[in-house]
Amino acid sequence: MNKFSQILGAVAAGLAVFIAAWFFIHAGHGGSTSAHAEDPAVAAATVQPGGAPIDSSKCILPVEQMRSSHMQVLDKWRHDSVRDGNRVYVNPEGAHFEKSLNTCLGCHNNNPMFCFMCHQYADVKPTCWDCHLSPMEVPQ
Amino acid sequence: MTMNQQRREFLKKAGLGALAGLGAAAGLFPAFALEKTDPSSFTQKPTPGKVRWGMLIDTRKCKQNCTECIVRCHHDHNVPDLSGTKNEVKWIWKSGYEEAFPTASQQFQTDEVKHRKVLTLCNHCAEAPCTRACPTEATFKRWDGIVSMDYHRCIGCRFCMAACPYGSRSFNWEDPRPHVRELTAAYPTRMRGVVEKCNFCSERLVKGDLPACVDSCPEKALIFGDLNDPNSEIRRMLAANQTMQRKPELGTLPSLFYII
Amino acid sequence: MIEKALKGGRGYWTWVAILLAVIGLGVTAYARQMTLGLGVTGMGRDISWGVYIAQFTFLVGVAASAVMLVLPYYLHNQKAFSKIVIVGEFLAVSAALMCMLFILADMGRPDRVLNVLLHPSPHSMVFWDVLVLNGYLFLNLISGWAVLGAERKGVAPAPWVKWLIYLSIPWAFSIHTVTAFLFAGLPGRHLWLTAVLAPRFLASAFAAGTAILILLTFILKRVAKFDAGDEARTKLAVLGAYAGVANLFFLGTEFFTAFYSNVPAHMHSLQYLYFGLDGQGPLVPYMWFSLIAGIISVGILLSPPLRRKTGMLIAACIGLVVSIWIDKGVGLVIGGFNPTPFEAIVDYIPTFTEISVTLGIWAIGLLVLTMLLKVAITVKTQET
Repeated sequence: MNKFSQILGAVAAGLAVFIAAWFFIHAGHGGSTSAHAEDPAVAAATVQPGGAPIDSSKCILPVEQMRSSHMQVLDKWRHDSVRDGNRVYVNPEGAHFEKSLNTCLGCHNNNPMFCFMCHQYADVKPTCWDCHLSPMEVPQ
Repeated sequence: MTMNQQRREFLKKAGLGALAGLGAAAGLFPAFALEKTDPSSFTQKPTPGKVRWGMLIDTRKCKQNCTECIVRCHHDHNVPDLSGTKNEVKWIWKSGYEEAFPTASQQFQTDEVKHRKVLTLCNHCAEAPCTRACPTEATFKRWDGIVSMDYHRCIGCRFCMAACPYGSRSFNWEDPRPHVRELTAAYPTRMRGVVEKCNFCSERLVKGDLPACVDSCPEKALIFGDLNDPNSEIRRMLAANQTMQRKPELGTLPSLFYII
Repeated sequence: MIEKALKGGRGYWTWVAILLAVIGLGVTAYARQMTLGLGVTGMGRDISWGVYIAQFTFLVGVAASAVMLVLPYYLHNQKAFSKIVIVGEFLAVSAALMCMLFILADMGRPDRVLNVLLHPSPHSMVFWDVLVLNGYLFLNLISGWAVLGAERKGVAPAPWVKWLIYLSIPWAFSIHTVTAFLFAGLPGRHLWLTAVLAPRFLASAFAAGTAILILLTFILKRVAKFDAGDEARTKLAVLGAYAGVANLFFLGTEFFTAFYSNVPAHMHSLQYLYFGLDGQGPLVPYMWFSLIAGIISVGILLSPPLRRKTGMLIAACIGLVVSIWIDKGVGLVIGGFNPTPFEAIVDYIPTFTEISVTLGIWAIGLLVLTMLLKVAITVKTQET
């Protein structure tokens, strides 16, 4: 099977699941669209699994800085954590983060939008996803 | 099934679906089920040589047809299933006593011991020949005694494989991903062309958990601990029992010990 | 001077075309290997090195053997070698180039080859091997080219060339010593774990290398009307003969130590190669052929009446090269991995892809050698 038909299949499957989920959620609320917060399933979904005390609502560095140098940050993090065991990053505001790609993916989980689109536009081909499983591509 | 597991299953099934680029969909699944580390449990930078992780394997307790630890390890670390081929990749497996300890005394040994299956994995040697042979320090001795792999740096020359006297290293002769039975999101896979091996579950140790094999053993046949701490359970067990290391005559000082 | 490689007769261009075709085959095969991974070779978990590393080991020896001409000519003023010193130097250049290509072909991630220099690791023998091989290639290329350029202009070579040449002499010994150390420092691989490996590598290199040089002089006489002279050939034959004797002697000492001491680990690989171990000995016929061919060839080269006969000399040289190629190119690597750390015997059969890549690299080496020698011989024959 070629890559294109794989992606096409995946897109189709995803669409189907999305529509099914939409119906499931709507059925659960009798057609109401404003009751998400009261729904225990959805509330559970927004809780960080593992309950890590990491403030994941913030970005580690300002957006502009991340846009220009996220690759250096990731490379430095990788080196520090894999080779030196130095796993804690403290940003200029004093917030603590774990030096891990998972820290980024915890919020920026939609990596087709967050990573791929821009990389495609800039025509860069990082090899991150040869090994790291992006949240969106863990198959069934 | 808990809600969280259900959600994880759901997300797994949704999988590539979000590739469709549906912004609304992304809003529906805000948190991906990645396990996070508690950063309060580790210091800024560990002191090298303070800790030396080691393992004691009680082969008397290890059930001969049990493969819990192997299945669990290979699942958790996305080890591809290429068993029975020349391209096989393995982190932990069972070998015959005679093959694992070829230089140990075999004469007049009972048949039961001779044919006993013993667990074999990376020995995390204190004097590791593989780290010496590596031309890029892609495999290196960590601060805690673990012989670690930097998959980003490995050039795939396989010198470490020739240097390892225990056959503990595997090379990715092909793209491993299609051969991973069930992908585990919490740990990366490897790419084609790099060497891999047991990492003593460094990703679990950092969270304060025991290695997956130790954790999953129903017989509690694996003891894990700090060899540098004279009061650790493993050190007490080593003092109280007659133990063996594999090929000790090579001077590699394995961190794995066996009770036969 | 390089333009001289672009002028040639029909024979020359036919030969170049054949080499280009083989290179094409090799490139296609390598493209397949790059796409699918090294799994397309016969190598695997247990026999993790194969034809590529074996060719590399053999060719380091060929590269080093240029010293068999350079040393007598420049240090002992052996004028008999004046016409062919350049042949030795250019042979070393092409052999060193092939060595590096074989290493590259064997790498799982050739895209990261520069990591060897970005993260220099003096504790690794590979790091030193990369340094000495590159150094040796350029030493020979620069000094050979400079001497030839001076000869073309009818002037003496610049003084600095002499120092490069002197440096290349110990450097030649270093490349094969470091290559032996790649193997000889690995615990648990008992065929390699021997102090006599480096001396044996040098002896076999000088034997096979001089034999190749003698064969090259015959080829050049035939196709380029460039005769190095019988005196040069005889001197080379004697050097090759004694190097061959030393090689056989070192092999004998390996047998003695392994079998007299009766230490199983030391005997296993030799048993596997020469007698079969646990009833498995796929290489036994090859190893005995290598041993017998080696003994006969060295015998011919040692005997003045026999080596004076051209046919005998050519046969002995071919016999010696084949013998050492089997010993170093087949037995050394596969025998080193058998038995495995788990006392198993594992077979290794190179695949078509692997053999095609190997042939392709040999063809690149031969093409470079052909062009370099074309330049050298054109310069040398024009002035006379």
